[in-house]
Amino acid sequence: MPSFNTHPSSYRDPSGFLFYKNGVLYRQVNKIFKKDFEDFIDTGLYDHLVDKKILIPHQTINENLTGSEDWLQTLQPEVVPFISYPYEWCFDMLKDAALLTLEAAKEALNFGMMLKDASAYNLQWHGGRMMFIDTLSFESYDEQKPWIAYRQFCEHFFAPLALMHYLKEPLQNLLLAYPDGVPLSTAKKILPFKSKLNLHTSLHIHLQASVANKLKNNAQQKPFTKQKMQNLLRSLEEGIGFFCFSQSPGVWSNYYEEANQREDYVKNKKQIVSQWLNKLNVNSVFDAGANEGEFSEIAAEKTRQVICADYDHYSINKFYRKIKKHNWFNLYPLIIDLSNPSPSIGVNNAERDSFLKRTKVDLVLALALIHHLAIGRNIPFESIAKMFSGLGEYLIIEFVPKEDEKIQLMLNQKKDVYHWYNEENFKTAFNQLFTIVENHNVGNSNRNLYLMMKRDA
Amino acid sequence: MQHFLLYIDPGSGSYLIQAIIAGVLGIVFFFKNIMIAVKHFFYRIFGKKSKMP
Repeated sequence: MPSFNTHPSSYRDPSGFLFYKNGVLYRQVNKIFKKDFEDFIDTGLYDHLVDKKILIPHQTINENLTGSEDWLQTLQPEVVPFISYPYEWCFDMLKDAALLTLEAAKEALNFGMMLKDASAYNLQWHGGRMMFIDTLSFESYDEQKPWIAYRQFCEHFFAPLALMHYLKEPLQNLLLAYPDGVPLSTAKKILPFKSKLNLHTSLHIHLQASVANKLKNNAQQKPFTKQKMQNLLRSLEEGIGFFCFSQSPGVWSNYYEEANQREDYVKNKKQIVSQWLNKLNVNSVFDAGANEGEFSEIAAEKTRQVICADYDHYSINKFYRKIKKHNWFNLYPLIIDLSNPSPSIGVNNAERDSFLKRTKVDLVLALALIHHLAIGRNIPFESIAKMFSGLGEYLIIEFVPKEDEKIQLMLNQKKDVYHWYNEENFKTAFNQLFTIVENHNVGNSNRNLYLMMKRDA
Repeated sequence: MQHFLLYIDPGSGSYLIQAIIAGVLGIVFFFKNIMIAVKHFFYRIFGKKSKMP
């Protein structure tokens, strides 16, 4: 019997499953899904979705790699180099994922098929765009039936987007609390009154939450029609299209404007980072504390993949818009709080890996970040060094001394219990896990940049 | 407190609500489409005129 490992999150749908064999990811299609899968291919829907860059392409393997009796076909999907989850996405990413799901549903309808689920986990940020990754989500369309994935779509997309729109709060973490989507009854209670004045929010959240559970399922069901389905999709699309996340200034949104006033500092920092990037010849970078991505952009020009994370939703949302505008394909903007990175979740805590487990890069960039972790969050240097050593082989880190005006600003609002915060202790702590390769003073500031290499690298 | 309907597919209740919502939307979009058509009609007339020297 050939050995393979089923992907821990691939157990819900009897149509097939994802598995790894010899380190390669495959998708098995089961016999039970024969008719729908054949329709999906034969109608031309698969080719159409791939051409339109809505769906991730696959290769057909024509070999039963699992030895399963249920086997119908084996597919090898294009590799997504870095997997991220909706609770790490900014508002615009989730909105684009929602609109792409609706586009996939509309396209499917034109080919006599329909989406049978509408989970936010069916999409990934790949090659500079949102892409649908679940090939087995399309089934033959029965005009008499409504959309089976309607409520799921509302819980995974409509409710969190409506909440962020109306409350003007970054609530991506709600999707971590509710991996199956925000319950509509919960969303209804949190949403302000004015949300009822919007037709689409009123129907898809307020009315649905109030009425759905009260309706008796044995009541006589009138057949649905294709026109009704199209109206439903149009309404969801108009509702989501209306939602936006205002650009009120974030914690760091003015950082570069302010930092640019110190022109020498930023210019010199860019020169040093570029120089080191050229010298290291790395493929992948994690920009921790990326802010609006100014240094991620430099890294993206010189490497294949840059994961740019910040805990400020507004900064990442702004950078995401810039990435889309410029069609940058190798940047992965994410909202990550390094003092509490996304944990492993789901069945056996194995369905979705933690952020730290998923992130393995050649180089970690930690620019103007150390004081936010050490003084802002009270994290000892040793813990910070341990976290960075688990992520990458090289580290470019900026040390900001306590006399720096930014730290003094922080200390104006809290008691100074950071007697241990100095450059000597920083070097001692990092020296246990890293070798210091080079260091440079930045501009005319009192900040120092360090290039370090992991000791066991 | 949220009352879960155990043993019932959570999506099944949405079948009837979809019929209700689709009914409402049928009326809304009927009038909306007329409005769009009227706007389009006037835009075509006045839009063309405004381009004339």
